[in-house]
This record gives sequence, C-alpha cells and structure tokens, in this order.
Amino acid sequence: MPAETEAADSAAPAPRRAWWRNVALFLAVLGPGLITASVDNDAGGITTYSVAGSHYGYGLLWTLVPITVALIVVQEMCARMGVVTGKGLADLIRENFGVKVTFWMSVALIVANLGNVIAEFAGVAASLQIFKVPILLSVPLAALAVWLLVLKGTYQSVEKFFLVASVFYLAYPVSLAFAHPDWGEVARASFVPHVRWDAKYVGMLIGMVGTTIAPWMQFYLQSAVVEKGVKLEHYRFSRLDVIAGCLVTDLVAFAIVVACAATLHQAGVKVETADQAAMALAPLAGKYASWLFAFGLFNASFFAAAILPLSTAYYVCEAFGWESGVDSKYTEAKQFYWLYSSILALGALVVLIPKLPLVPIMLISQIVNGVLLPFILVFMLILINREDLMGEYRNGRWFNGIAWVTAIVMIALTVYLVVAGVVGLFA
Amino acid sequence: MSATPAGHPNDPRFLFFSSMLGQPVVDAGGQSLGRLTDLVAATGEPYPPIESLVLRRGRGERLQLPWSAVEEVGPRGLKIRAGVHPEPQPGAAPPDRLRLAQEILDRQIVDVEDAKLVRVNDLHFLDVKGQLRIAHVDVGFRGLVRRLGWERLVDRTVSTLRPGAHYLSSDHLLSWKLVQPLDSTPGRVRLEVAQRALAQLHPADLAEIMGELDRDQRAVLLDRLDVETAADALQETPPEMTAQLLEEVPAEKAADILEEMGPDEAADVLNELTNESRQELLQAMERPEAKEVQQLLEYPHDSAGGLMTPDRIQLRPEDKVSDALAEVRRRADDVPLVYEIFLTDSAGVLKSQCTLRDLVLADPAWPLQRIAREPPATVEPDAKVQEIASAASKYNLVSVPVVDDGGVLVGMVTVDDILSEVLGAR
Repeated sequence: MPAETEAADSAAPAPRRAWWRNVALFLAVLGPGLITASVDNDAGGITTYSVAGSHYGYGLLWTLVPITVALIVVQEMCARMGVVTGKGLADLIRENFGVKVTFWMSVALIVANLGNVIAEFAGVAASLQIFKVPILLSVPLAALAVWLLVLKGTYQSVEKFFLVASVFYLAYPVSLAFAHPDWGEVARASFVPHVRWDAKYVGMLIGMVGTTIAPWMQFYLQSAVVEKGVKLEHYRFSRLDVIAGCLVTDLVAFAIVVACAATLHQAGVKVETADQAAMALAPLAGKYASWLFAFGLFNASFFAAAILPLSTAYYVCEAFGWESGVDSKYTEAKQFYWLYSSILALGALVVLIPKLPLVPIMLISQIVNGVLLPFILVFMLILINREDLMGEYRNGRWFNGIAWVTAIVMIALTVYLVVAGVVGLFA
Repeated sequence: MSATPAGHPNDPRFLFFSSMLGQPVVDAGGQSLGRLTDLVAATGEPYPPIESLVLRRGRGERLQLPWSAVEEVGPRGLKIRAGVHPEPQPGAAPPDRLRLAQEILDRQIVDVEDAKLVRVNDLHFLDVKGQLRIAHVDVGFRGLVRRLGWERLVDRTVSTLRPGAHYLSSDHLLSWKLVQPLDSTPGRVRLEVAQRALAQLHPADLAEIMGELDRDQRAVLLDRLDVETAADALQETPPEMTAQLLEEVPAEKAADILEEMGPDEAADVLNELTNESRQELLQAMERPEAKEVQQLLEYPHDSAGGLMTPDRIQLRPEDKVSDALAEVRRRADDVPLVYEIFLTDSAGVLKSQCTLRDLVLADPAWPLQRIAREPPATVEPDAKVQEIASAASKYNLVSVPVVDDGGVLVGMVTVDDILSEVLGAR
C-alpha cells in the first residue's frame, strides 16, 4: 500500500502537471508485470538460454522477437482480465468451467510447479557451489529464508523485496561487457530468421518458447494485478507495466544467449547446464564474468523459489474457496499453509537426495507444464471474449486474431515438446 | 407413481443439486428431451421454491420447463409428465428469479453466521410433495468430492481405513437463510432474511469480507446494506478501497454514506479521490457535514489536523456535572470515543478537561471546574503522528485535544486512529 498512497498523495491534493501525475500513477501500478517477467527468467530459463547460446551461437537469437510479441499478447490479456473482472484466473475458471476442470487444473498446476520449484532449488545449489557453498548448507538455508520471508512479511514488503531482486537481473546484461560480442553479427542474427530443420535445433527452439511462456505466469500476473487493486481507468499503466516487463525479460534472455555465444560457442565449448556455463566462462571472460553469471543464477532461482510455492497455494485455495493469504491465521487457513509449506519443503528435499535423476524430473515437469498450457490459453481466450465478463474490454477482432494465432502456434509447439519429452523419458 | 430408491416420492427428502445437474430429462414415453443444466428459483421466501428447470438439447439449444411438470426425480434422471412440452428459455431471468447454476453454484457468498466468505460447492434441496425448496448451501470438502463424482469411492475408502473418521459426518451445510449471494447484478435478488442478518454483523467483520471481494461483488454488497451499516463497515476498510467503492455508487448514496462516517474517516476517503469526484461528493453532502470534512481536508492526512475528528464533548467550566452527563448521553452516537470532556471559555479556548470517570464519581450538583484539571497535553493541527502518540502514551489519554495557535479547541485525535496510523506506518 505505501506505493499507492504515495502516488495518490502526489496525484490528489495539489493540482500538479499532468506528466508528473502520469509518472506517479505508473509507478503505483508498476510491479506485477515486472515481477512476473523477472521470475520468468528462472533457473530453467537461464539454463535454456545458456545452452542455446553455447550450442548454436547467435543462431537462435531471432526467436526472441516473436517470443516477446507472444509473451506480450498473452500477458496483456491476463492483466486486462484482472483489472476488468477484479478476479484471479483460478477464480474465473472455477466459476465458469466448474469443479472438475478446476480440480484437474489444480492437480496439474501443483505437479508442474513442484517440478519448477525443484529446478529452482537445483539452481540455488548449483550456483552457490561455484562460490564453494556445500549443497547441504545452501538448499536448506535458502528454503528457510524463503519460508520466513513470505510468512513474516506483508504483501507490500514482499513485493518491494521482489522488485529489488529483479534489479539484480542486470547482472546478465553487465556480464555482456566481459564477453566482447561482434555487435554487427548480433544485430543481423536478431532480426534475420534462420531455421535449421534438424531435430535438436527445433527442440532447442521450442524449449526457449516453453520456458518463456509458462502456465503459472498467467495465474500469478492476474492475481497480482487484482491484489494491487488497479482501477479500470488506470489500466493503460498496467499494460505499460506488462510490456516493460516482457521487454526486460527478453533483454535478459538476449544478454545470456549473446554472452554464451560470444565466449563459449566461439571457443567451441558446449555446456548442458547454467552452472557449467558459469564455470566455463571463467577462463574465457574472466572470473568476474563467471561470478556475475553465477550470482544471476542464484538470484533468479531464489526469487522463483519464493514466488512459485506461494502463488500455487494461492490459486488452489482461491479456486476451492479456502481461506488464503499470509495475513490469515494458521487455524483459519490450514490448507493454504500446508500447501505452501509442503511444496517448498518437498522442492528443497528432492534436491538433497544424493544421485538424484534430475533430468527425468525436469522432463516430467516440462511435460505437465506443456499439457497444461494449451488448456489455460484456450480458457483465457474463451473468458476474455465473454461479453458478460469483459463488456467493452473484450478482445477486438484484430487482437483476437493475433491472440488465437499465438495460442495455436504455442499449442502446436508445446504438443511437440510434450511428445519429445515423453520420448526422452523412455529413451 | 413408482417408488424410487431414495424413498417414496411423497416423503419429504433431501436432494443435492449435483445429483441432478447434467442428468438426462426424459418425457413420459421415455424419449430424451435433453440434459438438466440449471434450476430457477423464485426468491422472496426464506426457503425459495424451484420454479422451473433449464435443459439443453443437443448443441446448446436451451429449453425451460415448469418444475410442476416433473413426475419423478430418480437416480438416472428426471421424468416429465405426459402432455407438457419444453419452451425456449427466455434470454434474461426476471429480477426476482435466481438461476442457481449460473448465479450461485461455484460462486462466492457471504456466510452471515460465521461472517466470512465461502465458495458454494453444492446446493441442498428439500423435496416436499413434489415441491422442491432450497434448504442449504454446501461449502464443505465433501461437497467438493461429490461434485467430482467421487463421493461413493471416497466414502468407501475412508470408512474402510477409519470407520469413525470425522470426514464421514462432516457435511458443511449452511442454512440458505444465512447466506447472501453476491454475483447477481446489483439491484436484483435481495434475500430479506440474510440482509437483516448482514446488518447485524460487526462492522470490522463486514469490512474484512469487503476486503476479500472483487470490485463488482463489493458494489453488490454495498447496495444491499443500509447507509448506517455501510458507513460503519467502510470506516474500517482502507480509505483507498472505500474511495474506489464510492466512485461506483450513485453520488447521492455515496454522499449519504460519507455523512454517516466520522468526518476524519470521510476526509481520508475524499483525499483518495480525484479533484472532480471530491468536489462532486462534497456538493452532494449536507452543508454542516461537508464543511467539517472540508476543514479537515486542508491538513495533510497524517497530521493531527488530518487525523482529528471535530466531534467532541465540549462544555463550560461553570456547567454542572449533571449537565455534562446529559450531554454525554445526548451526543454518544456521533462522538466516536467519549472519555475526555473538554472545558473551554466563551471564545472556545481550551482551559481544562475532565474524564467520564470523574463525572461518574462526582456529585451531580458540582460545577465541572471542581473536578477539572489542566489539559496534560495539547497538539497543534500540524503535529505529526509520533508527537500525538507519545502525548497519548505519556499521559494515558484516550483522545488528545487539538488546538489552533490561539489555543482554540478545534477537535481531538482519538487513540484508535493513532494506533492504526502507527501500525500502518510499519
């Protein structure tokens, strides 16, 4: 609330100049889009971008342009639904598609997000190992820190913490300075599509799409917008927030791909994980680049590990009408606290299992995410075109066309990803 | 009429909505007419009767039948009497009719008894001689399991594992009389009984419910409350939320609510509005209230001037204790906290003060100056919260007097407002 009060203060009593008022309103509304976008570049995202850069150089850079467009289209619809209906996505799905759909969606969301949380803790462990922190120390401490941060803080303080955390993503663009890429080549590769039709390349391409547009984001963004209480007449500021967030996400992704391409790919080093990338950077770009890279991975993993269990618990409770929120007492919101704590604890514990088969776990999580996403996109498109819900804020004809094309392409790609994942699981 | 497994149809029996929803509806000849998609209830009675059923044939053609045409509700669907034919469903339901699947099932309602917001998992009907009435809403876990179609499976599993399990007997049913639906259009469907119960809720509980609702639901709830109840609840909600709400009700009602609120709370709310809306509401308010609020608006909201209320008990030192007690009785409703009584001279300059406790202990015939003492602390309108809070804490004051630079009493800051300001600034 402090951010809102500040803006209201500066906007209300004395008539000030319009541009200042607009800036103040934007700052008050800022947050949900930027935070969602930042969490989007989590451990899984950073891994995918590092691998893409080291294997294919600048070859996949051009995909970031259409990915950004798709991300903006999808996220904008969520923010709009949140502002217009004042309800979260899980809430709307329960009210319009019934208990059965909601139940299976919740199960899938819990499984998918549990997989994501495991990936985040694996990211925490891997990044801190570069700084010589043993996994038995780093993971339990990170889990405890997340648990305390969320349960002892208020929504406002937690949001502020997250906004500050998203600044640390600048670690990646900064690490570009050490990489000395060929900018002419980078510019050409960013805007000239270049497709190779071998299975590995296509798999990598789809992996990039899949890691950037995930089911949980739609729920998180819409709930965060509702929680902010953004007014209808300030919706345009929310939209700016979403667009800014998407651009920042993909700028970070761009930086990672370019940094890995200019150093690792140039030297012919092929990495399979983000921490390998960080370590491989040391002899090529100096130890500071390596540290920056590792720090970025830690920040991203920790950040996402804080948000994913919390938000999952929120949607599930919202959909089933159980009391939720860190402001409620334990006796009033048992389901919420149990869900939140078990997802967090389970995610951290799985990583501690020695000789854990992380790859199949990640594949399963990726499959469940992929199965869920088409449903979520179709539900969103149905809801956003409902006159009784959205009134004049329904999709226009053009926007609807773009949105459906985006959804269909996304669905086709995720179906491929799911099939590839299932094949990979049994191979 | 043939007997059904659930008992003779003439017996009163309970039915769940989930056991009918989606079931086939067949005519007397056994021909399928479609599947049940909704029930329409007439409101106005404590336990509303079901008037008609909505069914869907093939691809979305929606038809309606009167409930009286139902001959039998069996486990395999509904049987319709001979000679009755379904008609197309009218586009919009009349204002006093409730479409249960659309407006109640899966929606949030106010559980008036426990003062909280719950989600409807199922509806429980009472069938008396073919007349179906809404008896309860099911908001429990079992209702959820039933909707998923797993009631029998889960019941069997649980009773095998733990025959005495709490789950088996823990249906969470709320009496229909004590729920308030929120998802119908404002102005439609008011349930009188629940409405009265709603007004009985503690304003702080009502405020908490308001906080959990979405914007449209809040508007509906506000529409259902009388002006006094609404004002009491809104005093407890954050001013920015109240401001947002008042922008969505007609200016006339918004102004009435603002008049009922304490002037200091009303000023906080107006502070959150745009200049135009603020002026519009101030115009719509009654003169004296508008003027009080306007004066408060001139101070920053976190200063003594912004926090104070102009309502206070103010008397002259020569007035009698009995007069003071009479004044307390007369004004108790519009003064937020009655404890300190302020004594001023003819120019309104604060001279001394006494407490309600002093009044009660004193002889009614005494003049007030006999029990009064110097005001231990006063603050000026631009004083900061910290200063007011330390004065209140140091001298154990329930309300701290606010005086202008000439010593004239202009209002008081009460301890509840100090507390919420201090807690909010965490």
